[in-house]
Amino acid sequence: MSTLRGFVRRPWRLAAEASALLIAVVVAFPLYWMVLSAFKPAGEIESSEPRPWTLEPSLDSFRRVFGQQEFGRYFVNSLAVAGTVVIVSALIAFLAATAVTRFRFRFRTTLLIMFLVAQMVPVEALTIPLFFTMRGLGLLNTLGSLILPQIAFSLPFAIWMLRGFVKAVPDALEEAAYIDGASRTRFLWQILFPLVFPGLVATSVFSFISAWNDFLFAKSFIISDTSQSTLPMALLVFYKPDDPDWGGVMAASTVMTIPVLVFFVLVQRRLVSGLGGAVKD
Amino acid sequence: MRTRTTWTPWLYLAPALVVLGGLLVYPIYQLGLISFFQYTQAQVSGGEPTTFKGFGNYAELFSDSQFWQVLLSTALFAGACVVSTLAVGCALAVLLTRVRALPRLVLMLAALGAWATPAVTGSTVWLLLFDPDFGPVNRILGLGDHSWTYGRLSAFFLVLLEVVWCSFPFVMVTVYAGIRAVPSEVLEAAALDGASQWRIWRSILTPMLRPILTVVTIQSVIWDFKVFTQIYVMTNGGGIAGQNLVLNVYAYQQAFASSKYSLGSAIGVVMLLMLLAVTLVYLRLLRRQGEEL
Amino acid sequence: MKLAPRFALLLATAAVVAGCAPQTSDNSSSDKDDQSGTLRVWLFQEVGNDPKAKVVDSVVTAFEKAHKGTKVDVEYIPIDTRAQRVKAAFNDPKSAPDVMEYGNTDTAGYVKDGGLLDVTKEFGAWSEAKDTDPTAKKSVTVDGKQYGSPFYVGVRALYYRTDVFKDLGLQPPKTMAELASTARKIHKAKSDLYGLVVGGAYTYGAMPFVWANGGELATAQGGSYTSGIDSAAAQKGIKAYTSLFTSDNCPAAKCAVMGGNDTITAFAAGKAGMAIGGDFSHSAVEAGKVKGKYAVVPLPGVASGSVAPAFAGGNNIGVLKSTSHRTLAVDLMEQLTSKATQASMFDAMGFLPTFTDVRDAAAAKVPFEKPFVETLAAGTKFVPASPGWSEIDSSLVLPTMLQEVISGKKSVAAASGDAAKKMNSAFSSAG
Repeated sequence: MSTLRGFVRRPWRLAAEASALLIAVVVAFPLYWMVLSAFKPAGEIESSEPRPWTLEPSLDSFRRVFGQQEFGRYFVNSLAVAGTVVIVSALIAFLAATAVTRFRFRFRTTLLIMFLVAQMVPVEALTIPLFFTMRGLGLLNTLGSLILPQIAFSLPFAIWMLRGFVKAVPDALEEAAYIDGASRTRFLWQILFPLVFPGLVATSVFSFISAWNDFLFAKSFIISDTSQSTLPMALLVFYKPDDPDWGGVMAASTVMTIPVLVFFVLVQRRLVSGLGGAVKD
Repeated sequence: MRTRTTWTPWLYLAPALVVLGGLLVYPIYQLGLISFFQYTQAQVSGGEPTTFKGFGNYAELFSDSQFWQVLLSTALFAGACVVSTLAVGCALAVLLTRVRALPRLVLMLAALGAWATPAVTGSTVWLLLFDPDFGPVNRILGLGDHSWTYGRLSAFFLVLLEVVWCSFPFVMVTVYAGIRAVPSEVLEAAALDGASQWRIWRSILTPMLRPILTVVTIQSVIWDFKVFTQIYVMTNGGGIAGQNLVLNVYAYQQAFASSKYSLGSAIGVVMLLMLLAVTLVYLRLLRRQGEEL
Repeated sequence: MKLAPRFALLLATAAVVAGCAPQTSDNSSSDKDDQSGTLRVWLFQEVGNDPKAKVVDSVVTAFEKAHKGTKVDVEYIPIDTRAQRVKAAFNDPKSAPDVMEYGNTDTAGYVKDGGLLDVTKEFGAWSEAKDTDPTAKKSVTVDGKQYGSPFYVGVRALYYRTDVFKDLGLQPPKTMAELASTARKIHKAKSDLYGLVVGGAYTYGAMPFVWANGGELATAQGGSYTSGIDSAAAQKGIKAYTSLFTSDNCPAAKCAVMGGNDTITAFAAGKAGMAIGGDFSHSAVEAGKVKGKYAVVPLPGVASGSVAPAFAGGNNIGVLKSTSHRTLAVDLMEQLTSKATQASMFDAMGFLPTFTDVRDAAAAKVPFEKPFVETLAAGTKFVPASPGWSEIDSSLVLPTMLQEVISGKKSVAAASGDAAKKMNSAFSSAG
């Protein structure tokens, strides 16, 4: 572990730590404001003297948000979509990354480049062709139409990120496993998979966020059955460009951000080591 | 690495290839196809037949001055975002190495919070912060009811703040991990030689962190070039008279608002090609660094 | 690769590309005509929608009783997202409704998109149809065929605050010039009120200024239209409207983004001295803080005592071509736009009926309608009946033009010139 601190003079370190804390406050401020405004009563939010505290926290905004038709349903839908995307794309990406890193075959490099190029695609532009694909598959107005494209869009990045992890598992380990009589499948799932798991966790964060945040596809593919819609759409109901219900918007935002924060906190340590591993190459 | 020719890798690749083929490659092919036809709402709902237009849509696009304006705006905006994000992220990464565990944890958690915030949510929160009537920023700076979203530059500035806020954590965490991997002897020696912090960064860390910095820069360029949600929400679909449009939002407006799907597709293709160029640059850099793909 | 195979490959690719056109949806009339099942209806969600919903519910209940085995499912759609939802409905007949409400400016566009069902026969056979106001009938007609039934007409007039006027000793303005000066006086005296709240995105609030000065949106020539928005007269009107967006009336920073609904919301909340609102905004204003403190006069024209031509807005109800319940849907359409329903809608929401006899009776009943009926009588204008209008509307050509002038980006001449170019290209590509 790098030990720069041995060479940092005391006052500098104190200054550094003070700045770190100050910056942390600034960075966290928007989130604090969001949660604060969610709990402020209506009069206090829409006042020209906003205070960074409230002496009368109220659940009014949350009540409005949850009273909004089917908000709970939207939440569950978002969770279902994001969860499915995370699990399915992790599995598929793991298999694909293993294939491209631990095997040599023709087109291997080509495929890798294709996966890289795939990350460049501005996915919003694909909405119309995807609309017809979904229609052909009979998936319009279902969560499937949201899940499938998200899996596809998160795969290239996941595969690229996982390369480092998969590569890091030594060949010797694999040889030893085969000598011991393990089949290829056993090696894959019982040895390789657990070792690559931290990397999977890191990449799953990206898939989760991407699926959780999407609102363009929900807007375009869920037309007549609004019970299948997702959270970002619910949020925009409260946000009208010039007379937004700020309390409702902040309450809905808070509800929408919490699962992601929870997910992040849970995987925080793995995430840092994961990212370090992915770029170590 | 197993060098026996087997079909195992293809078996493993099958699910990925099927999903990507059907949901990425095929739509891209369709995208290109649509851009060569006359494809507006009338065609889509069957009111009129589609007609082959060749490069007609592209000609129309390139002769429209708004397209070039939006292209320039996108390039400048993305550039500014990338530079700011990298600067903030790297600076904070170095800062993280100079502090003890507790402040480091606090800053990390704050950054993760910013990173975790969904784009839609972040956009509305920053809008509230800078709201002319109810926002704390105007109050603190004593600006009365100055509207940040009205002026073209100030609207872009506001969006840039949000984008940097939610993107710097990625840079910070990645670069920090990279610095931690640098052998301490090297840094010890430099510090003993009396090198300043900035000198250490420029002459030692940057070269050693090159692979990481490359990844982080390229990723930032790609993401910031494709920004959609923040612009769409914070400037209400592109700003007054479309002054805050970026390419991705412009394509969407052409396709869905004006129903000129073929024109929107043409813009999508242009974006794709530009990002492809960026990717090729990245690949060249990787190749030159001796990276084994 | 040798030349010949390479050439063949190229040829093959070209053939494939030219041969595969992008997918389209097949919106041809379905031959199905189920006599039972669920009918889906999309209606617009108005500001203060509950009274409308009540009237609709009673129509639905009566309909379900008359047709055993049929259920009607009504959904209220926010107006600003209607364009996308309707497009999506045309694209995917399976998720489309059977019956829908649409603005009369969209008729030509929707017909061109091939989404609306031709109901000429049924409309002609309908006993009540003969009393339809000719302007309303025109708004559902394209090339001599009817594609829906008129639901209501709406015109706009000038709402003003009686208490504010009394306070400041003002009279309702009789000319456009007076309108501007009155607005400024109000804002000067009471700085927390907009004088006349105007919106940069409020096309139908701006058009009367153009029309009153003699300008036209477009003129019909041959089979097509040519834009007139850059003529000298039109420019005068644009200038008159945009000069209201100053700090002595309605500051640009706040007002440039407002649309029609936003200006009414502001007026109803007591933030403005005057507003341009429709008869359909009545219930919204009544529900606001200004109840009992406002009155309406026709929007004045340039000459004293004249009325600025208003836009003949209105909504129609049509049946979608993709419906599989043709007979039932047409029947429901007729029920929703019948004389009885329109009379109830008038009582509930203030929607002006499209049948001349019903309308006259309503106006006599409610003095509030007088200025609107006057405006209707003084002569209304419509948008060019070209299929290209939908594109002009949805790509926000006119609001962009207004906002460019308001924000100082372009001069009136330049902005209107650009708008005219865009309009002409839309007209010509629509044919």
